[in-house]
Amino acid sequence: MTPSRRETLQWVMAAAALPLARWTPPAMAAGTDTPPPFDVVADWPDAVPPPLPARGYGRDPDLMAPKVPWPLTLNKAQRATVDLLGDLILPADEQSPGAGTLGVGAFVDEWISAPYPIQRQDRAQVLGGLMWLDAQSRALHGAAFDAITPAQRAGLLDALVVTTPVTSMAKPVAFMDTLRYLFVLGFYSLPEGKADMGFIGDQPTPGDYPGPTPEALAHFTDMLDGLGLPVS
Amino acid sequence: MTAAAFDPAETTADVIIVGSGAAGGMAAYSLTKAGLRCLMLEAGRDYDPKAEVNMMAPESDAPLRGAATPDKPFGYFDATVGGGWEVDGEPYTMREGTDFRWYRARMLGGRTNHWGRHVPRWGPYDFKARSRDGLGVDWPIGYDDVAPFYDRVERMIGVNGGRIELENHPDSSPGCLMPPPKPRIPEMLLEATCESMGIPVRAAHTAVLTRDMPDDVAPRSACFNATPCGRGCTIGAMFQTTTSFLPMAKATGKLAIVTDAMVSKVVMASADRAAGVDYVDRKTGARHRVRARAVILAAGTCETTRLLLNSGDTPAGLANSSGQLGRNLTDSTGASFRAYVPALAGRPRYNEDGIGGQHIYIPFWLYQEQQRGELDFPRGYHFEIGGRFGIPPAAALPRVWGAGLKKAVRAASGATIGMTLRGEMIPNKDSYCEIDPGVKDRFGIPVLRFAFRWSQHELNQVAHGQRTAHAVFRRMNATILDPELPPEKLITAGGEIIHELGTARMGPDARSSVVDSYGQTWEVGNLVLMDGAIFASGAHKNPTLTILALALRASERLAARFKTGAFA
Repeated sequence: MTPSRRETLQWVMAAAALPLARWTPPAMAAGTDTPPPFDVVADWPDAVPPPLPARGYGRDPDLMAPKVPWPLTLNKAQRATVDLLGDLILPADEQSPGAGTLGVGAFVDEWISAPYPIQRQDRAQVLGGLMWLDAQSRALHGAAFDAITPAQRAGLLDALVVTTPVTSMAKPVAFMDTLRYLFVLGFYSLPEGKADMGFIGDQPTPGDYPGPTPEALAHFTDMLDGLGLPVS
Repeated sequence: MTAAAFDPAETTADVIIVGSGAAGGMAAYSLTKAGLRCLMLEAGRDYDPKAEVNMMAPESDAPLRGAATPDKPFGYFDATVGGGWEVDGEPYTMREGTDFRWYRARMLGGRTNHWGRHVPRWGPYDFKARSRDGLGVDWPIGYDDVAPFYDRVERMIGVNGGRIELENHPDSSPGCLMPPPKPRIPEMLLEATCESMGIPVRAAHTAVLTRDMPDDVAPRSACFNATPCGRGCTIGAMFQTTTSFLPMAKATGKLAIVTDAMVSKVVMASADRAAGVDYVDRKTGARHRVRARAVILAAGTCETTRLLLNSGDTPAGLANSSGQLGRNLTDSTGASFRAYVPALAGRPRYNEDGIGGQHIYIPFWLYQEQQRGELDFPRGYHFEIGGRFGIPPAAALPRVWGAGLKKAVRAASGATIGMTLRGEMIPNKDSYCEIDPGVKDRFGIPVLRFAFRWSQHELNQVAHGQRTAHAVFRRMNATILDPELPPEKLITAGGEIIHELGTARMGPDARSSVVDSYGQTWEVGNLVLMDGAIFASGAHKNPTLTILALALRASERLAARFKTGAFA
C-alpha cells in the first residue's frame, strides 16, 4: 500500500466516523542531519520474536458485545515500560492523568498483537524499539530504561523526536513516531482523553442541530477579520 | 395491519427481485404497492438495524479503538456485514496492471445500511454529456424525464438540503426537502474563504431526516444529532431500505424475502423470455430454481453484470448482442486534501456532531469555463467537506514529547479541514469487467475479472482539484498536510469510491446498449435491470438518488405492463 493510498483510506474513515485519524508520520529525511547527543548508538535488533498464531475478529463480529479475540504479546516488564513511556510522552497535568496511568500499555499490547498488516508492522517496530531502548540505555548508562534517572530518560527521548535523524537513528525515531501515534490514539479515545480535549458530543440532541454557540460565533468573526475575509 | 407474507413454495411470484439495496428495495416497495407478488432474493444474511446496530458505544469499547482493519474496512462498528473489499470464498480477479476494489456487503439492505448519504440531483448536462463535449454517450432520456421521480424519491426517502441555484444543479420542487442543519465553524470558514475566491458553497443534500417521518408500519424519527451514521441508524433517521421500503413492502403481504440466496444465473423459458433464476443457499449449499413472470436484477452494478455474463447459451452471456455487457465500467474519481488551520487552533468548544457527515459542500462551478475550452479536463467534480473536533491527525502534531504534546493535541483538535474530491470518469475501452475463465467462487459460480485505467481526463481533473484545494488552504493561512504527489499517485484506485456504474448501459437501441431507458433488456422482454449497471454515464454526483429515481420509474413501467397483460 502506497502512502497516498493509506492517506486516502484514512480520510474516508475519518470522514465516516468520529475523527479517529489514521497515522501519517510527519515528514522525515533520514541520514541528512541532526546527530544524536551521544557517541554510541545501539544497533537496531536483527529480529523480534515471531507472532503467535492468531485470528482477527472476522467480517461479521457481534457489534453489541465487542471482544478482542487474539492473544497478547507483551510480558509484565514490557507492559510496565510502555506505561512508563506513556506517562512521559503524555504526562499527567492539571487537565488529565498520564497515559500510562490510564493503562495505555494495555492498548498498545492489544494493537501490536492484532493479526492485521498495519498492526503487524507496528508490532515489529514497537518490539524492536523496546529492545533498542534498553540496549541504548545500557550502553549509555549501564542499566535498562526503567532503571535510569528521569534526566537520563529525558535525554534519550529528546534524541528520538528530531526531524532529520542520522541514518543510525532513523529506525529508533520511526519507533517513537509509531509509539507516539498509538499513545495519542489510545489516550484521546478514552473518556478522560476526550474530556482533556474539551470534546463535547456523543449525546443525543433532539430537534434542530443547535450549531455553534455565541462564543464560537464571536471567535469566528474575529477569525475572519484576522484573515481579511468578508463576514457574510 | 401487517399481512403475512405469501409462501413462495406454494405460490408463484409475479416478480423475482435479485438484491435488496437501493434499487431492489425501491422495486419491492413500488411493485407490492401496485399489487404484484414479489420474491426478493438477497445473497447476504438477514439483518435488522434495530437489533444489531451498536449506535451509542464509544470507540474505546471496540477492538483497536474501532480502527479500520481488513475485516472491517470502515471500522469495527461500521454496519457492513460479511464483506468489505473482500468476501471470504467469493474472490474477484484483475487483469495485469489493474488495481480495482470491489466493495460488497452480504446483508439484507445491502450498501444502504452504511452508505454516504450525499444525494445531489443530476442536471441536464449530466444526461447529455456527449452533446456537450463529444465524449462517451448521451442517455436516451434527459433531466426532464427524471425530474418528477427525483421529486418523489426525495420525499419518499427523506432528504434535507437547501437551494443551490447554479448551472446544472437543478433545485428540488417546493416541499421536497427538509431543512438542512446549520454549518459548523470549520465549514463556515471554508465557505467564507471559498466564496471570496468565487467558489460556491451550498447546503448539501443528505438522506438524513431533520423532521419526523410518520408511517403506520415504518415510522422514522428525525436525526438526534449524535452517533456516526456508518454504523446504521436504529431510529431510522438515515435512509436504509431495512428501516423503510422493506418493512413497508412486507406489510402488504405481497413480499417474500429469502436471505442467504446467492443467485447464480437467469434461466430461460424461451430465447426472449426469462423463466426465473437459480440460486444457491449460502448456508447449506442447496440449489434452488424459482420462477416468476418477470425478473428484476438489482444485485449491484457488477454483480448484476456477472449474473448476465454467467447466463444465456453463449460465452457472451445473456442480453448481450450489443457486446456492451461488462464494458463502460466507471467509478468516481477521488482524492483527499487536508490542512492544519492555525486560525482554528484552540477555538471555543461546542457540539459539532450534527447530522453526522458534511453539512455543506462545493458543487462543480466551472461549466462555463469548461464549455469555452479553458480547462484541460472535460467533466466536473465536487468537494465534500470535513472538519470537526476530535483526535487530530498525527501529521498536524509536532514531533515532541511531554507536556508540549498534550498542549499540541488540545490546540490541533478541531483545527484541521479536509476537502474530498469526487469527480466524473468518462468510460474508456480499458475499463471493464468480464468472467475470469479460470476462477470460480465457493459455490462454483465463475467470478469477475476487472480491468481498469484512468485516462488523462481524470488525471487532469484531479490535478485541478489539488491546485484548487491548496489555493483555498493557502488563503486561510493553513499548513497543507498532503505530500506533494502527481495526480496518478493522488487519485484513488478504481472502485475505491464505491460508485461503480455503467456495465449494462441503457441507450436508444439494441445495437449500442443492453437495456432501454426503463432498464428492460432489449432481448428479453421480462428481464429488467434496475441498479447502477444501466447508467449511460457517471456524472460527478453521487449515484444513489438517481438509482432510486430510475428504479421507481422502471418499477411503475413494469407494473403498467403487468396491467396491460404483457406477461399473461
